[in-house]
Formats: sequence, C-alpha cells, structure tokens
Amino acid sequence: MAEHMAGNAIRTAEADSVEGRHDVGTGVVRRNDKPAFTLSVDGEGVGKVVFDLPGEKVNKFSASVILELGDLLDALAKRADIKVLAFVSGKPDVFIAGADIRELQNITIAADAVAKARAGQLLFQRVHDLPFPTIAVIDGACLGGGCEFALACSFRLATDAEKTSIGLPEVTLGILPGWGGTQRLPRLVGPKQALDMILAGKPLNGPKAFKAGLADACVARAFLDIELPRFIARCLTSEGRDALRANRKPHGTSKMLEGNPFGRMLLYRGARKLLRKKSRGMPAPFKALEVVRQTYGGGIEAGLQREAEAFSELAPTSECKCLIDCFFASEALKKIEAPKSGSDPAKAMTSAAVLGAGVMGGGIAWLFADRDLAVRVKDISWDAVAKAFHTANEYNRALVKIRKLKEGDASVRMQRISGTVDFNGFRHADVIVEAVVEDMGVKKKVLAELENHVRDEAFIASNTSSLSIGEMGRALRHPERFVGMHFFNPVNRMPLVEVIPGAASSPEAVAAIVALSRRLGKTAVVVKDCPGFLVNRILLPYMNEAAWMLQEGGDLELIDKVMYRFGMPMGPFTLTDEVGIDVGAKVAKILAMGYGERMNVAPVLEHISHDLKLLGAKAKRGFYLHQDKGRRVPNPEISPAVKSVRDKLGVTPRALTPEEILDRCMLTMVNESARCLEEKVIAKPAFLDLAMVMGTGFPPQRGGPLHYADQLGVKTVVDRLRRLQDRHGMRFKPSELLVGMAARGDRFFSPASVDG
Amino acid sequence: MRERLAIIDGLRTPFCKAGGPLAGSSADDLAARALRELLVRTDFPVNRIDEVIVGNVAQPIEAANVARVIALKAGLPITTIASTVHRNCASGMEAITTAANRIFSGEGEIYLAVGTESMSNIPLIYGRKMTQLFGNLMKAKTFGQKLQTWMGFRPQYLTPIIGVQVGLTDPVCGLNMGQTAEILAREFHASRQDQDEYALMSHQRALKAQAEGRLGEEIIPIPVPPKYDAMQSADDGPRANQDLAALAKLKPYFDKVAGTVTVGNACPLTDGAAAVLVMSESKAKELGLKPLGYLREYAYAAVEGRRMGIGPVHATAKLLDKTGLAMRDFDLIELNEAFAAQVIACERAFASDDYARKHFGRDKALGAIDRDRLNVNGGAIALGHPVGATGARLVITLLRELRRRGMQRGLATLCIGGGQGAALAIEAA
Repeated sequence: MAEHMAGNAIRTAEADSVEGRHDVGTGVVRRNDKPAFTLSVDGEGVGKVVFDLPGEKVNKFSASVILELGDLLDALAKRADIKVLAFVSGKPDVFIAGADIRELQNITIAADAVAKARAGQLLFQRVHDLPFPTIAVIDGACLGGGCEFALACSFRLATDAEKTSIGLPEVTLGILPGWGGTQRLPRLVGPKQALDMILAGKPLNGPKAFKAGLADACVARAFLDIELPRFIARCLTSEGRDALRANRKPHGTSKMLEGNPFGRMLLYRGARKLLRKKSRGMPAPFKALEVVRQTYGGGIEAGLQREAEAFSELAPTSECKCLIDCFFASEALKKIEAPKSGSDPAKAMTSAAVLGAGVMGGGIAWLFADRDLAVRVKDISWDAVAKAFHTANEYNRALVKIRKLKEGDASVRMQRISGTVDFNGFRHADVIVEAVVEDMGVKKKVLAELENHVRDEAFIASNTSSLSIGEMGRALRHPERFVGMHFFNPVNRMPLVEVIPGAASSPEAVAAIVALSRRLGKTAVVVKDCPGFLVNRILLPYMNEAAWMLQEGGDLELIDKVMYRFGMPMGPFTLTDEVGIDVGAKVAKILAMGYGERMNVAPVLEHISHDLKLLGAKAKRGFYLHQDKGRRVPNPEISPAVKSVRDKLGVTPRALTPEEILDRCMLTMVNESARCLEEKVIAKPAFLDLAMVMGTGFPPQRGGPLHYADQLGVKTVVDRLRRLQDRHGMRFKPSELLVGMAARGDRFFSPASVDG
Repeated sequence: MRERLAIIDGLRTPFCKAGGPLAGSSADDLAARALRELLVRTDFPVNRIDEVIVGNVAQPIEAANVARVIALKAGLPITTIASTVHRNCASGMEAITTAANRIFSGEGEIYLAVGTESMSNIPLIYGRKMTQLFGNLMKAKTFGQKLQTWMGFRPQYLTPIIGVQVGLTDPVCGLNMGQTAEILAREFHASRQDQDEYALMSHQRALKAQAEGRLGEEIIPIPVPPKYDAMQSADDGPRANQDLAALAKLKPYFDKVAGTVTVGNACPLTDGAAAVLVMSESKAKELGLKPLGYLREYAYAAVEGRRMGIGPVHATAKLLDKTGLAMRDFDLIELNEAFAAQVIACERAFASDDYARKHFGRDKALGAIDRDRLNVNGGAIALGHPVGATGARLVITLLRELRRRGMQRGLATLCIGGGQGAALAIEAA
C-alpha cells in the first residue's frame, strides 16, 4: 500500500512538471530519443529534475548518462530563474543505484581509472557549485555513485520506505568511492560515522541516515507529496537553509573524539584494528581508510586527487575483478529459473518438517522458522529434539545480540518450531528435509518410513553432504518428489545450498527446492548427483592433501598458516577439526570409493580418525586442543601418531616450503574443479567459483579455484601438476580439460575479468 | 444448555513449580505451545477456527489481551479473533463455558478454549507513593522542580508490592487464600492430621499416574528457555519421598500461631497451560470428528469471600438442580485441591444433611463423595495449580480418565478466589 502511494506521489510530481514546462519552458537535454533527465521549472522558481533512465529498471551512472548530466549542468548554469532545484527519480524504489559496474570491469590500467574517477568528480563538483540550492529526494536505493551524487547536492531528503538505503558499498567490490565519497561524506557526518559506512560498505535506511546527519530530513513515503513542497519551502529562505545545516552538527562522544588530532588518531587506529579482523586480505577498505586519514581536514581538490589516485590503485587489480565476477555470478544465478517452473512453488509453502535434530537439523529448522514457515522437528528422543531448539535459540541469540532481531520476534520464531518423537503432524508439511546421520542404510530406512506419513504433494529433500541422491531415492515409492538439498554448516551463516537432482527427480521438484532455497535467503546452485557433489568433492581432496603433506614431514601449523594467509577462513587442519575428524574421514572414504585412487585417504588421517578416535573441536581434541574462547594449541598426540605412520610406511620426513604447500593445496582444488566442469557437475565456471566462495569461504577477492588457475596461467598449472604427479603419483594427474586448455592457451574467464 | 458441547481433544503443558523449568516461558508462550500442538494433533484446519478464548488470571503486562498474542504465536491466521476471560481460579473453565455460550447463541461454531498461567512471571510493583513520585517527576519541568520532587522520596517507598501475594488476597474480605482455608478448617473441623493425610494421598496418586503414563498422555513436552537445551516432559510437583512425618514438621504458613494450613497441604504456585478444541455435538457429527467427550451443563455459584473454598459445593448444588442429576450419577470427580482443608470441607459439606438443609433447602445431603472416585490421579497439591490453567486441566484429565475406565459421567469442580465455585458436568463420548 505504502509503495503504491509513493508511486503515485512520484507520478504526481511528474504531472506537475509537465504543467511547469508549459508555463516557463524547459531546457531538456537530448542525447538519445528519450532523455534520462527531464527538467521543469514552475513559476515560483522551483526546478525539478526527474532522472528516469530509459529502458532500464534502475537509474545508474553509465558513460552516456554522465554525458547527459554534463549537458544538463550546462543548461542549468544558464538558468537565472531557478531558485531551488530538486532531483527526483522516476523509478520506483530506486533513486540512483550507483555507477555501471560493467564499465568498472573494463578498467585495466591505472590511467583509465584516474580518468574515470576525475570525470565523475568534476561533474559532481559542478553539481555542488550550482548557484542555487539543490535537493536530492531519496526514495529508494541511493548507493555508490548515487550516494556521491546526493552528497554533492546541498540537501538530502530521505523517505522512511523499506527500500530507501543510502550508502557507499564500493569496498565490497574491491574499490573505494571514487567520485568524492571519501571527501564529502566525512565532511558531512564526521570521520567516525563516515568510516563506519565506507569501510563496512553497509548502507543506512532513511531514519538512520537522518540521525547520522547524512539526510537533512526523513519523511514518510506516504506523505512525500505534502512533505516535499514543505522541504523545498525551507530551502528557499536562507534562514531555513541555515537551520537545516545547523541540525547536522555532530554531538556527544563522536564530537569529542573527532574534534582533535589525538582523538582522530585513536579513531583511525581502532578502525584499522577492526579491519584486520573483519576484512582480512581485502585491500580496498584499508586503502579507503588511508585516504580518509590522509585527507580529512585538508582541501577538497587535493583530497579528490588523492581519492582518484587510490581508486586507480584498486580498480585494475585482480582482487577487484574477482569481487565483481562474484557479484555478477551471484546475480546471474538468481535469475536462472530452475527447469520448467511456472509460478513460484515455494511461495505457497507454509509448513515444513525436519528429520533429525542435530546441528544441521536444528539449523535448518531455525532457517524455516526465520522465514515464516512453521516447522516440525522429529528425532528419536525428546532429549535429541531439545538439541534442535538449542541450536535455533543460539542462532537467534546471536541475532538479538547484534540487534538484528528483537526479543519478541525471537520468541515468535521459537514458537514456530515444534518437536515430536513420532511422525505426528508430518501430514501438514509442504516440504520435509531429512538431516539424519550420514549413512545410506539409515537414510533409506528413515525415508521409506517417512513416506507413509506425508502428503502425496509434499516435496522431500535430503541434506546429505555426499551420498547419492539417486540411490537414496530408491527407498521411496515416489522418488520423483525427492531432491538433494545440501546446506552448509553453520546454516545461519553459510549462504550456499547445493540442489541435487537424482536420476528420478522431477523438474518440478527441483524447481521447488531451488525456489525454496531462495525463499530461505540462500543462493542455490544445481549440481550433479556425484559423490561429494561439487563443494565437498573439491574441498575434501584439499583437506586430504594437507594430511598427505603432514605425513611427509610438513609442519601442521605452517600448513594451516599458509592457507590462512592465502585468505581461507582457516587452515585445512583447523577446518577438519571444525567439521569433525570423524565426519571428514567418513566423507573422504565415500569419495575414495566413488573416485578411486586419486582420492585415497591419507593413511595418517585414517590413523588419527580410526585408531586414535580424535573427533575435533566438538570433543575439544583433534589436530589441535581446543580451549575456551576459540583458543587452540597443537595436540601433542599428533606428532607421535604421524611418526608411527611414517615408520610403518618407511617414509623419511622432509620439510615442505610454503610455496610447495600452497601449490599442492590449490592445484588439488583446481584439478578437481576442472574435472567437475568436464563432467558437467555444474553449468558454468563462474558458478563453480561462486559456489566455492560461498560454500567454503574461499577468499572472494581471489575469485575461486578457476580464477586462481587463470591468474597462474593454465599452462603453468598443468606443468606444475605434472611435476607433482612425477613425485607423488596419479592423484596429481592433470585433468584432460586442463591439458587441452593449456595446449590451446585457453582461460576459464575472459581476459578482461582477471589481471590484465 | 441447548445441546452438549463436544470437546474434540485437549492437551496441556507440564505443570511446574514457579521459579522452576517453565519460569523462562511467559503465559502466552506456554499457551501457544499447547495450542499449536493441539492444532497439529487434531489436524484441524486453522482457518475454520472462529475464535480463541483464553482464561488467564495474572495477565502479562507485555501481552495485553493475551489471547490474541497466543493465537498469533500458535500460528493461527491474522484473521482469527481472540478474547481473554477472567473468573479468577476458574478462568480455564470460563474459557470453555464462554465458548459454549458463543456457540449456542450462534455467534460461531468452532472455538479454541485455553487456560494459562505463569505465576513465575507475576511482577513486583512499586507502591502507590513511589508511583506518584514517578508521575510527579515526569510532570516536573525545571531542575528545581525535579529536585524538589526527589526531596519527597523516602527509602520505604521502594518496598515492592509482591504481585502474587496481592493477587491471592481477597480485597473485599481482606484475607489471603490460605487464611480462607484456615476458616474452613475450623468450620468443618479438618485437623492438621486430616489435611496432611489428604496431601500425602494426592502425591501418591499423582506419582502412580505419572509412573503408569496416564498424565503423560495429556502432556506435551516443552523446551526450556532461556537456553533451550532440555525438554520438560512431566509435572515436577509430585514428591516421591513425601511422608506424613515430613509433612508434620512443616510450620503453618498463614496462621503461624494456631494454624493448620502449611505449604505441604496447600497447592504450590505453578506455571502451566492447557487447551481444548470445542464445537457443538451436532457440528462434530457433521464433520465426522470423534470427540474426547462432552460438556453437558455447567453452573457457577457465589459464597462469602472468606469461605471461598466451599464454592464447589454450592456450584454443584446448582448444577444438580439444573440437570436433575444426583451426586451418585458422577462416576468420577475432579475437585480442585487449592488446599487440603478446603477439599475436606467440601467433602463434609457434600455429606452433610444439615449443610444441605441450611444452604440449599434440601432435606438430604447432596451426597457423600467416595474418595476412590475423587481426584484419582492426584490433584493440585501434588500437580500444582496454575490458576488460569487448572480449570481446563480438570476437564482434560477427567475426560481422559473416564475414557480409560470406560465410565460415563464426571464432575469437574473448582473453588474460586473472591468467593465463587464452578461445576461442570462432563460426559465421555
């Protein structure tokens, strides 16, 4: 309702402007048949520019729009009759979404980047220098270049609409605000608030933007028709303008902190410390911090130049290209409709059920409850069922703590979860997710029993991480409704779901599970029903390779450190501990059975899991001893265990260099990734890389295993794999796809999207 | 009533002592769990529910019209109406009888009747003087005015009013519920020994019912906040090691000098909720449902507040008049155990020709109650008495026991703080 009314408000404004045009005449710029900007001025000297980019759903600054804006500014400069000018959007829910990211992707050399930044900076400086007050009327997304444009205006009026978000998310794409954002935002809201926004890239909604001083007023979208003329009236008098500006003054602690050089030093130091923790391996936020620190308090022109220079140091880098590729891949993935889907089958779902109340079952139950689905959780005992409630509550607590969830809402969500020890209530479920122990026999038995208690129309999904969906489906009378739906642990934080059609799965069922994954806020990738599917098939050999290296004499902590420094969220042994050594070994065995020699489990891993029965973080003992508060020290049991395996196999230990460690870890992943493409496990290289980023925490600024291969050069990859094959055996045999590509000089991605 | 009210099914949460495992759940959370489970198990379409009626005594300040909050938390559609009713300790029954009235006046067809109470969460409140001081502070504009207001503060203003205590005191006769039980103990000569023996029997029966799984049938396990790391599946009141010697050691609680009522022979403060799905008998037939049983008729009666515990006798007398039934027609009786003294008083009044003559103009006693038919699975002394919920629990427990025994008719009756009684004639399907 509110949105509809707001739409009316905008249309009304346009209608006014048409009349205005009639009265006074217009200065309309036409580069194309249809202009992006429409200017009108009424008899009172109130001008209005409507930005409505033809043929697009959103307004954005492309090269042609920038040209048009230049022409508009020329025309405006000649108008003596304008007393105040409001910029409004002709698009619903969007003011200006930002710059055209595709153009950013084409920047390959620093000089281009500087030129691009300077052009925008100069243009916005001209907006800033207009001889009359300007107002950005922000009702919808106002991001990146859009926000920088708004900052160049004299005043900003925001609405309280849900879609109104104002901010500078540039660092999430590996760049920094290059059109004056690092200059104008700190000047407007103070360096603390500005850094909060720029370094995290998180936008503010209307009310928060008003509180921060970024917006000079925040009004209800429904009353924009009344409030905008009022705001314009305030901007018409110098008293009104002074009053608006006086409102922006920062107060309280932030003023104390920012007002003196010592306080600012503390501020910058704190910001850097936070970045080291949160933005490891991402150059852009550090660079943005540096720019603000160096330029705050200085002149605007010098600041803009420094900003453009810093922008040019980021835009052409592979980190930036990789992040943009990730962004495009995830956008592309959202648009892919699963085969033959009509209307959204997930929308109608109201009720779900989960079999198995372990960490995964509990996490999935939490997710359903979080997305407005009643969910029934079954396990064999009430004590087991309690674990699901516990997990869900933990996830809610985490949200309440960071104020993403209110206590009352948390209570309502907990109420959506109910437990049972029989199949009571399963007839209500529109979808059932099985998350019992990873054992084909158990799963088949549970599924066969389940089918007696669910509706014929209900979809059934299995959260298996590696077992064959086709095989599992044989337990069902109606395997066509059965699909793999692999969530990653922890469910509340991992954005990926692998959707796996089995041999008998119907396209409708696959479409429904893909749609459900999206409703649950996850990114769904459809992958083939092969052991380990995609992510585990690539990740497990990497963990296994780490164990091989340990066995050869590699240092456990060094191996972890090398991969952590590379950008992985944790090293392979820490990861194995977190996953659970038993779970890891189990999946590794399933893969070894499926793929044969190249996935043979390293004997040392077998020994530690099978003979020593070490479990990992959940039992506080694994490769590391896990102490309180996430601290860990290497487990002294490991070294003698490794030695005994070495002695048995007659291996003479030797030290491994960081370079060899990185090569063996990464090339193992690259090689298996190439095999997955060969076997069409996933549709596109871009989707494979995105799945690895989202499913394993592979550093997004490195793009994924296939981007890594491109950066290294496929030929180098093949050469090194061959050398490793000579030394360590068949598991390093380069895949045919890689060999062929190396011979042809091919890459996985077009050259523009990696280091040029 | 025009026809019988069909009680399709009924469930309850465990009843747990205040401050115990359910203390982290509010009255609305408890009821919502019971209600959601009832809807799941009966497999009844939620959009057919006409209204949710909830009986609740100490209505949570953060959930005004707690019924609406419960309905939404339990997953009923936003279009389902909901109202809260209050008849003190009979609020759970009031929810059922109100539903019956609405159904037979044609206002709706299918109702959820709920009773709930979280006595753990009844707040302490500031006294009148402190409240006034806060009010004045808010009115004070200048610093001087504020300072002057604070000058009027006295430390004793901070003494809290204990919500539970005030709630269990009759503001008209000025007596606490325990004190009214002492009055009945004297009137009917229910000695300390009589009371303790009765209390012990309640625990023993409850334990047996628990062990044999009879109570488990009506209970749904509840996750235990704030950590949600365990499920509470059983009532925590029944004491396995209770004996007469231990009971005899307890000091009288309400009349510390000459009293007989102790915490051992009175019901504890308790948290819990119970819910039933109801509709007319004919509607149930039309929908092909198999009800747990029926409510045939009900009656409420009032007595002096200081004798509130005798309410069941008066309400039952009215019920017998209304239905033409006699006490011997009831195969089983659930008479709520607020206090052992009060149950014994009722027993003696039911059996007394004098009492019947004096109060009901009958020649003969209403009819003695055989203890083998009374509270056969234990009562509130062992199980607890979440005031708003108990009325609904009595109906559920009674119906299920009638069915188990293949019996026909039962009486569920209850005394009500402030001086009333409720009596429901229940019939098995």
